[in-house]
Amino acid sequence: MTGVLPGVAPMAVPAGAFLVVATLLFAIGLAGALLKRNALSIFLSIELMMNAVNLLFLTYARMRGDLAGQMIVFFVIAVAAAEAAVGLAIFVALFRAHRTVDVDKIALLKW
Amino acid sequence: MNQLWLIPVLPLAGFLLNGLVALVSSSARAESESGADQPGAPLPYAQRLFHGIVGVGSVGLAAVLSFAALVPYVLGSMAAPEGLAPVVQTVYTWMAAGDYTVDVAFRLDALSALMLSFVTFVGTLIHVYSVGYMQKEEGYGRYFSYLNLFMFAMLTLVLANSLPLLFVGWEGVGLCSYLLIGYYYDKDFCAAAGKKAFIANRVGDFGMVLGIFGVFALFGTADFSFVELAKRHVLAGNAPLGVYAVCLLLFLGACGKSAQVPLFVWLPDAMAGPTPVSALIHAATMVTAGVYLVARCSALFVLAPDALTLVAWIGAGTAIFAATIGLAQNDIKKVLAYSTVSQLGYMFLACGVGAFGAGMFHVFTHAFFKACLFLGSGSVIMSMHHEQDMRKMGGLAARIPQTFRTMLVATLAIAGVFPLAGFFSKDMILGSAAASGHWALYAVGLFTAGLTAFYMFRLVSMTFFGTARGDAHAHEHAHESPATMTIPLWILAAFSVVAGLLGVPAALGGSDRIGRFLEASVAHPEIHEMSHGLEIGLMLLSLGVAVTGLVWAWRWYGRATGPVEAVSPQAHAFFEKTGSLGRLVANKWNVDEGIEALFLSPFRKIGTFLWRGFDALFIDGIANASAFLVELLGDLLRFFTTGHVRNYALAFTLGFAALVAYVWLR
Amino acid sequence: MPALTGQLVVFGFASFVAIAFALLMVVQKTPVRSVLSLVVTFFGLSVLAILLAAPFIAALQIFVYAGAILVLFLFVIMLLNLKEEAADKDDRPVQRTLGLLVALGLGGLLAGATLRAPVPPRGSPVGGPIPMPDEIPALGRLLFSNYLLAFEVLSLLLLVAAVGALLLSKRRFE
Repeated sequence: MTGVLPGVAPMAVPAGAFLVVATLLFAIGLAGALLKRNALSIFLSIELMMNAVNLLFLTYARMRGDLAGQMIVFFVIAVAAAEAAVGLAIFVALFRAHRTVDVDKIALLKW
Repeated sequence: MNQLWLIPVLPLAGFLLNGLVALVSSSARAESESGADQPGAPLPYAQRLFHGIVGVGSVGLAAVLSFAALVPYVLGSMAAPEGLAPVVQTVYTWMAAGDYTVDVAFRLDALSALMLSFVTFVGTLIHVYSVGYMQKEEGYGRYFSYLNLFMFAMLTLVLANSLPLLFVGWEGVGLCSYLLIGYYYDKDFCAAAGKKAFIANRVGDFGMVLGIFGVFALFGTADFSFVELAKRHVLAGNAPLGVYAVCLLLFLGACGKSAQVPLFVWLPDAMAGPTPVSALIHAATMVTAGVYLVARCSALFVLAPDALTLVAWIGAGTAIFAATIGLAQNDIKKVLAYSTVSQLGYMFLACGVGAFGAGMFHVFTHAFFKACLFLGSGSVIMSMHHEQDMRKMGGLAARIPQTFRTMLVATLAIAGVFPLAGFFSKDMILGSAAASGHWALYAVGLFTAGLTAFYMFRLVSMTFFGTARGDAHAHEHAHESPATMTIPLWILAAFSVVAGLLGVPAALGGSDRIGRFLEASVAHPEIHEMSHGLEIGLMLLSLGVAVTGLVWAWRWYGRATGPVEAVSPQAHAFFEKTGSLGRLVANKWNVDEGIEALFLSPFRKIGTFLWRGFDALFIDGIANASAFLVELLGDLLRFFTTGHVRNYALAFTLGFAALVAYVWLR
Repeated sequence: MPALTGQLVVFGFASFVAIAFALLMVVQKTPVRSVLSLVVTFFGLSVLAILLAAPFIAALQIFVYAGAILVLFLFVIMLLNLKEEAADKDDRPVQRTLGLLVALGLGGLLAGATLRAPVPPRGSPVGGPIPMPDEIPALGRLLFSNYLLAFEVLSLLLLVAAVGALLLSKRRFE
């Protein structure tokens, strides 16, 4: 698979390398999201995962010689901005109510 | 020609107005219960006046409009050699499905003109009568609103131009019948009688509905233009098998509504309602709707001669069966009820031998004398302080002379004494039966005529002649009814005398006007001609039979001085002699008990089994078991709801990993 | 294998930095340091974006992500005055080990899957061949033609998010 589609300028760096870096970053972000207890840190890890996916999009866009991939990245970044604003506002409200953002200490939705 | 739709709509408006006022005032009375009004007290005079004016006025106005419409039509159609074409007025399209539409359309032709004339006329008289009869009732407003609603439904039934619209009226009169039988709904037997009427009619109505579908399937239309199509089939000599089925189904509906043999049991019980209701609904108008239906579809029935024969035999059977029961009843209204069933049998007998015109003629005359008899019995009952048992009456002729005279006239009319109304109509039926060669049917009809004369004169004798039995105090205080009640009685009695003159047969020098008038609307399969001599002979024979019945009843009951237990010693001895047969007749041939044993009891047992065994154990068991399982599962699953988002994220990720693995390894 | 070109060197360096600082972000106990580590990772990522012929995205990565979003994080951290993660130990060892295993497992799975998956062929020429090096005008044209509706919806989303954030962070709910 590692290669560009016919008719696209060849790549100096093999595309597979980019894919490996992207999945690695995704796995690191995932581990952070699962292991961290601070809600803000979990949020940051999720941002990292999104960027890993963005890198994947850019790589495929290059491989296919198609701008659509970059377009999606543009939208992801914009949506991430909206998501960050709302998410952080939730954390602020959460902190006001519980004086903590430790997700292990805020286990309200249970029997 | 004025607007036909106004005729049914006026009583509808009366129903809404009366019902609204009755509703508001009854709730207002319920609130001020602690005040001077105790429950059961009559309404204030002003409110009674309002209900009376709205109730009588709306129906009276409808009657005026009806006559304004039908008099020119009748005169015109008598003048024209072929009669006038039916007047059809479409109000709006009720429903449309593809090419098929059902219109709310009203039709004035010979048949509906005949029905319209006596329905509105007798209806108005009975409304007037009710003003006096019901004046002490708390439910005065409710009563008049129901009665107006009934008139609306009945007029819709009569004027409908299609079977679906006729069915609307058909069900409407059934509903009002139920409501008015159960008028005294706080008495158990009244409520039960109402339910019985409704359920017995359901059995007939399922046949009616299927019959309507069948008509649509046969002709592609359910408005009465199918009659013309059926007539053309007559010419083509083409009678498909479906016609038989449709005829039998429609006749099943007619049997339910008109209380014929399998389904007649509800009508005697329906006497639990107020007496004017019995007169209007259960004697003069609603119960004749079945005959009207058969006459309406006569062109169809003619295509199925075997079905017609069945109609004739069911009619004849009902006539004699109900008449025998009427011989031994002691409740004055029950006698009249069985008499009604018996007379309805006559009408079907006429239809069955192809003399639809004669059947409708009997419907017409019967409306007058039977309404008069019922209203008279109401007057008797009221004067005797709600005593209905004839054994406790007697000797009332001098006390309530006007009631006595009118009832006597109506009795002679129903017995078929020349030249009263019943003579001509009944004789036309018997003559048609004989002319069409159905001599067995003729014999049954003739014998029934004798029974009719007997039980009717027995009723009159037990009520008005002989010594006063029962409560002497009540007898002394018996008094004549007010004018609102006696005037309708006199009018009806007058019509019981003259209504028959519309159909004087050719043999007696008349020209059978009503038969010729109806020819435009009903089928007349083949004209049987009898020699006038034979016809007059048959008339004399039936007259003789009727007189025999009258005289016999006079001999047994006319000067009866017996005690309450055995009013007439001769009759008592006769019934003793007949033994078990006499007891069977006195017990109405055990029909109610038979139905109970044959249908109701098994159904009740099946119902109990389905309730206890199937529903409570099986269905509820499944429901409860599944609920229990879900609860158990929930108890287990709730341990996974830790409330820790990280657990959820982990589970989510595991699921996602599984998905990726599946997609990859697939 | 291509020769050890300049691009390859740049790629190796940038990806090393991105991965290293990503790990650092996860390991850090202090939220502020985590954020700052992530900023460095984003710089690495933007270099990779340039290597992938996406200079506009690279700039966006720096301006919007590192410059705006992460700064917002910093503000919130300072607003809430968050210190190190509490000293008390994680009392969920199962979650901890299982989480690590699952993360590694899924990472491996995804790496394998992406490496094996064929490059999806161009269905319809949405973007056309990338006109290196100046793809920015092409991107702008796309944004205001093919993606106009998405672009407008996006602007609405941002507005709603702004209003929502305001409402959520209000002191009292009435």
